[in-house]
Amino acid sequence: MVNPMMPTDPAAPPYASTQSVARLIAAEIRDHLWPWSRSGFQRQRAVQAAGLALALAASVAWVLAALGQLQAGAVIGWWFGWSVFEVVVRLGSKPYVKDGPWWGRRYRVANTMDMVCYVGFKNLLIGATLFIGLKSLGFLVI
Amino acid sequence: MKFLAAFRNTLLSLVLLATAPLALGDAYEAKLPDEINTAPELCKYVSCGDVLPGATVFSERKGQPRYVEGYAEENGQRKLIGYVMLSTDITDTPAYSGKPVITLIGMDTGGRFVGVKILKHSEPILLLGIPESALIRFNQQYIGQFVGNNIEIGQSRPEESIIGLDAISGATVTVIAQNQVMMTSGTAVARQVGILKPTIREQAKFVETGTKPDWATLVKDGSVKRLVVKPEQVGLPRGDTLFIDLWFGYLNQPDVGRAILGDAAYRNLMSRLHEGEHALFVIRSGGVESFKGSGFVRGGIYDRVQVRQGGDSFTFRDLDSSNLYGIEAAGAPAFNESAIFIVRSKAFSAAYPWKFVFLGNRVDRATGARSFTNFDTEYWLSAAYLQGGRPKVVKPDAPWVKVWKARAVEIGLFAALLVAVAVVYAFRDALTRRATRKNKWPVNAFKYSAWVVSIGFVGFGLMAQPSITQVLTWFHAMLFHWTWELFLTDPFIFLFWIFIIVTTFVWGRGLFCGWLCPFGSLSELLYKVGAAVGLKRFQFQLPRKWHDRLKWVKYGVFFGLLAVSFFSMGLAEKLAEVEPFKTTFLVGLFNRSWPYTLFAAGLLGLSIFTERPFCKYLCPLGASLAMPSTFRWFGLKRKQECNSCKACAVVCGSQAIDENGRIDHRECLHCLDCMVLYADSHACPPLSQERKRRTKAGLPLTPIGANGYFIPIKPVPARAEALAPKN
Repeated sequence: MVNPMMPTDPAAPPYASTQSVARLIAAEIRDHLWPWSRSGFQRQRAVQAAGLALALAASVAWVLAALGQLQAGAVIGWWFGWSVFEVVVRLGSKPYVKDGPWWGRRYRVANTMDMVCYVGFKNLLIGATLFIGLKSLGFLVI
Repeated sequence: MKFLAAFRNTLLSLVLLATAPLALGDAYEAKLPDEINTAPELCKYVSCGDVLPGATVFSERKGQPRYVEGYAEENGQRKLIGYVMLSTDITDTPAYSGKPVITLIGMDTGGRFVGVKILKHSEPILLLGIPESALIRFNQQYIGQFVGNNIEIGQSRPEESIIGLDAISGATVTVIAQNQVMMTSGTAVARQVGILKPTIREQAKFVETGTKPDWATLVKDGSVKRLVVKPEQVGLPRGDTLFIDLWFGYLNQPDVGRAILGDAAYRNLMSRLHEGEHALFVIRSGGVESFKGSGFVRGGIYDRVQVRQGGDSFTFRDLDSSNLYGIEAAGAPAFNESAIFIVRSKAFSAAYPWKFVFLGNRVDRATGARSFTNFDTEYWLSAAYLQGGRPKVVKPDAPWVKVWKARAVEIGLFAALLVAVAVVYAFRDALTRRATRKNKWPVNAFKYSAWVVSIGFVGFGLMAQPSITQVLTWFHAMLFHWTWELFLTDPFIFLFWIFIIVTTFVWGRGLFCGWLCPFGSLSELLYKVGAAVGLKRFQFQLPRKWHDRLKWVKYGVFFGLLAVSFFSMGLAEKLAEVEPFKTTFLVGLFNRSWPYTLFAAGLLGLSIFTERPFCKYLCPLGASLAMPSTFRWFGLKRKQECNSCKACAVVCGSQAIDENGRIDHRECLHCLDCMVLYADSHACPPLSQERKRRTKAGLPLTPIGANGYFIPIKPVPARAEALAPKN
């Protein structure tokens, strides 16, 4: 039976039932930063592996930017490209998002738009922090 | 289906019409010759005669900051008739785009502005919407004004000797920045050429303790200051070596002077100074650049350093400098360039704060073009070295502070509106319980009031319509030149965005879009008025199938604009005309060319027949806010029975409730109609059923609980004493 009280069906990430708040926060931080999962790899090995390679390339792009060897536009391009792929990766490996208050424990199945919104928002925050940080330190020059 | 095809074609036509005739401004991102920033003969590259009528001959750039003298030829003789200045030679004040409006300014020998010409700007609002001619008309207000007048944006206040200039509606930040550019440029040149007399300041009286502080102490108490410029600040590649690393300090103060120079050298220096003359030292302890400049020639001006105090600038000629061979203070850094400079003016006083300025050029790494920029460090002698301590200095308010003060009442009312709407919405449970399907006034009274105030006061009055262009402008500013002051200069948009960001994360975008967006409010109000005046039978909703397809269009528009903005902000700004906000509120439906008017009027006309077509299908701002709404903290309530009951879905104007009774919070505009039903025991089928059951069984109707059901009746065991027979 459909539960209309949530926008999609409820989901339960492996760490959802942990009693320790610290463990929950640590698991959520890991979830935000690490889009892959064992089950994802088992289901779509090629996509997940390609995602891993692309993430590595995007990380190298940030490192090059931090060394002052990459223009701002190139970093933004890499980050955007990776973000698009992260949506695909997550839909295969961690297809859930949080519902309701961020401090709560309600999770639900993510549809494509939910995942686009989640990855877009998360990577905007991460990208903006790195971009502004590198720019204020003088590594990125516009 | 014919209607749907017609609707789709109409929408498409309107979009195409709105973006087709792009009335480009001449100066928007105009390509200027690179030499304009550096060439001695400025007037070879720009038409100085346009801003200094009558002048036929122009000098090379001179002075610091630089300007050009303009001459008229009469009877074969040259006569000085005024001055021409390039704003970016004097100030790099950024406008709303984060880039300066490059302006050529003409001033006669009496200090009156005689011509203003915009050479280049990057202001998105002037690209489309508000014509560039509005800025030209704004600038015309300076013609004939004396540069020493107190000119501000807003109403004149004769009692305070303030001359007010009419702002450009919808471009307040731009004109405030432009006023700063005009007045800063004008006064800088007017002071140099003697039109404006320098401010005479009371001279400092020093406390002499006889101590000789070491270098560290001098640095700690502020008697010696440092000015560092990194290579990336002037557009050079980042490196380990600084561009320039300078230390400087004021030498007339006996304790400081003796500590730096030693007793004999200090006495010698003071004996050479006349009354009202001041000495300061400068050393270069690092960096590759000389502060004297490689182009300096005997008899010339040091064009890389300057002292500024208030509005007065003090430059140094070769006779104003002498050698500094060593520093006596223990712990002083090694240096490879040094000088003692003399300020020969009674206008300078060491009792007041001043700035040591390094004047440089910034190289644009993308184009290689050079532009003027300066770096400064403030200096103010410690109170311990001044008799009576530091005098009280009242610094003038920053432009944005002036705006907040001048519009304090409106800002207060606007803030009160935002808070009031948020508070009303926070009490939505209480309001929806008072309302019923047939009488929604307990909710609608507040919502309709918010719409009316939003349209009249916020939209047409304050012109504070949030727009996707603001999001793009922030992005642009973040990349080029972020200054908080710029955004604070438009207090209503600033406050509105704080409200939008906070409420989107707490409740979703619906509170802004559904209650306070001026265009959205106008759109839905037209729909309601249409129904009230008998057009209800012509009103319609798109079939669910089509709604579910078309609702993605707005996300496409948003992502399209975002993608285009990566490559061309200008083009993104033009395409952002898909928002009819400028036409409706900023410029006016009848003040724009017909395609824009037709587009905006078409959308508003369509709004009479279908609810919020722009908000549902086209609005890029709504799409950008819908995405974070996925993660709003508190959504609207549902019951399990909603999965089979369609009552709420039928009344949902924004069509945000799907066939399973689930609310799509990205589409929900918080009309609260479903929440009214949720607590209405005559309209919500599960509640109605329970009400009938209880009535039939003679059970009391308890209040509706937070979960949307009647509070259950739980039989409580009777207490023994209550059951005991009474005597």
